[in-house]
Amino acid sequence: METSAESTRPSPLADNEAAAAAPAGLVVALVGHPNVGKSVLFHRLTGTYVNVSNYPGTTVEVSRATLKIHKEQQVLDTPGVLSLPSRSDDERATLRALLQENLNCLVQVGDAKNLRRTLTLTALLADLGVPMVLMLNMADEAEQRGIGVDDKLLAEALGIPVISGVATRNEGVGALEAALARAARPEPLLCYDDAVESAIGRLAAQFASDVPHAHLSARGLAILYLGHDPELEAWLDQHFPKTAALLAALRLNLEGEFTGLPLAALLSGERGRAAEALTRTVAREGKKPASGKPLTAGQLAVHPVWGWPILLGVLFLLYEFVGVFGASTLVGLFEEDFFGGVLNPAFTELVQNHVSIPWIVELLVGEYGLWTMGMTYALALILPIVTTFFFAFGILEDSGYLPRLTVIANRTFAAIGLNGKAVLPMVLGLGCVTMATLSTRILATPRERLITTFLLALAIPCSAQLGVVLGLLGGVSFGALLTWAVCILVVLLSSGWLASRLIPGKRIPLMTELPPLRWPVLGNVLKKTGGRLKWYLVEVIPLFLIGTFLMFALDKIGALPAIIEAGEPLVSGWLGLPKEASAAFVMGFLRRDFGATGLFAMTEHLSAIQAVVGMVTITLFVPCIASVMMIVKEQGLKVALVLLALIIPTAFLIGGILNHLLRLFA
Amino acid sequence: MSPATHEALRLTGIPEGTRANLAHFDADIPAVLAEQLHAYGLVPPHAIQVLRQQPLTVVLCEQVELALEHEIAHRIWVEATPA
Repeated sequence: METSAESTRPSPLADNEAAAAAPAGLVVALVGHPNVGKSVLFHRLTGTYVNVSNYPGTTVEVSRATLKIHKEQQVLDTPGVLSLPSRSDDERATLRALLQENLNCLVQVGDAKNLRRTLTLTALLADLGVPMVLMLNMADEAEQRGIGVDDKLLAEALGIPVISGVATRNEGVGALEAALARAARPEPLLCYDDAVESAIGRLAAQFASDVPHAHLSARGLAILYLGHDPELEAWLDQHFPKTAALLAALRLNLEGEFTGLPLAALLSGERGRAAEALTRTVAREGKKPASGKPLTAGQLAVHPVWGWPILLGVLFLLYEFVGVFGASTLVGLFEEDFFGGVLNPAFTELVQNHVSIPWIVELLVGEYGLWTMGMTYALALILPIVTTFFFAFGILEDSGYLPRLTVIANRTFAAIGLNGKAVLPMVLGLGCVTMATLSTRILATPRERLITTFLLALAIPCSAQLGVVLGLLGGVSFGALLTWAVCILVVLLSSGWLASRLIPGKRIPLMTELPPLRWPVLGNVLKKTGGRLKWYLVEVIPLFLIGTFLMFALDKIGALPAIIEAGEPLVSGWLGLPKEASAAFVMGFLRRDFGATGLFAMTEHLSAIQAVVGMVTITLFVPCIASVMMIVKEQGLKVALVLLALIIPTAFLIGGILNHLLRLFA
Repeated sequence: MSPATHEALRLTGIPEGTRANLAHFDADIPAVLAEQLHAYGLVPPHAIQVLRQQPLTVVLCEQVELALEHEIAHRIWVEATPA
């Protein structure tokens, strides 16, 4: 499977003793379409793991590490680009890296079974003038479909090394490492028509004289600029404000010479046709079109009738694994048997025997003890739940099912001004709302990102919280759980509907690629679960300990009883909960799941109605501190404050209404 | 596969299972949308196969399975090829 082909042209890197002696600070960037295996390759080349999944948009930020075989050489994993000039945030992130990093080599990672599409992007990258290597990944899938690529012929045509391989099996990675030293500036794939070439030439001349760039060619910059690339425009405004105005005038003038399709679309069409012509020359067409079982199963998953039972089946399995096995069986084993029966009594005895200062004993193993509350919540209650959720979610991600969910969910999301793609951050939010807020970048417009961020902060419980909800309400009755789910869903849809009418802008119709359904690779799922757990615990344990300490301090200075008393009209009068539940809402300010866990610990004192009302209110309550910080990062402080000002009263309002309705009808 | 000379139809009007050649996009299609379609490989006169029409239009373009909301598919014109 592993093959490599070389062009005979001299490489600019080879002239400089190649990558083995590359100057410090130089950078290799992995670029390519979404979901072609850039992150797997990044892991293979650097040993650094970043999240890898079978759906587009997994990588939303640039990751950086050093090459395993040459520590001076940095490697960038860039978000997938559907096309360039950049249009989405993740494409802008990639273009920013191309503009600002000290690049000495581009590795285009392409899908071997989609050569024509890969070469359409190559046609643009080739004009950037950076030494390149083309890695055709997933060669096994191409072979299964009877698609053959003549790497040698392709390498000759492009003038760069071409490597075929399978990154998940480490095939072709060694050849790629070796080929980095022979990276070469590609031959242009096409000459646009005369009028377009003339326009590019005039703009390129202006770039060459007024906008010198360290490694990108004037022609490449001109093509991006003709396509109104927003990142390039921002870069020009920042670094060459006077020339930016000149270039804008020149572009306007040139655009006036063309009628019909806008220039950017004209150029992308020509690149597509050039890629098609080259593909016909170097590739053997697949004798076995994708019509086997994975495609059939994939079609069933988006079937207007069968898609729904499949979705319900997936949700049922998720509930059984996370809600029953994780939140009930494993939590029972950890919390009651291990922590409650063995570890905590032993640790309490140890502390009491060896520490003579009473308040320190209480701080460690008291009612609000760092161990008996903070660590026990984090390790005995939360860890089993998030572990099972992350594992199940990893399987879903690797299977390729999630993009199909966007098709099924599209009509529902249309009602709230979004398209089905917004289901991905929402589902990811069921794992961790903080990560999901970051992943709203896969959405096309600021409006979609704002609505989705709001809904995530309001009504999407993270895995820890979800597990606690499933554990508590599942123990009450199925009806209690159903009431909670319906209530949250109604709030989600009605808030989304309202937000979509209040936030100006148009809904973007859905267009999404459906990657092949694949059997998840256990090693990848375990690695991903481990990475997420590490990230989660690093964030959770300090916050749980800080939260516990605050509760301890508030209790000691007498403020906690005062807060409980002060909150009584709201918590007991309006929500109908025991007044001690105020403490859970104080904890909820730090993390929603911490608050939910606080309610979970009060299970014995809650009636069925109180359990449902408490869980609905805490689910809608403020997102955790980390999520708020992420909202500030992505949306700005002002938006974050407005969202919080909306969310807190909404949570209590809905909780109170639900309490009164349930008491009326129950 | 040789392109047939049939009259152009909107992609949304093509039955499931049909193979067709891309003819052109609506003249007033937004540039960004045209660029995205090109990037997915939908470049006239390339061949595609219609897999589904509900709930969205799903087409197979070589090895790329692409789901398009009807609002987008309606802007794409194709020429059906003989079975």
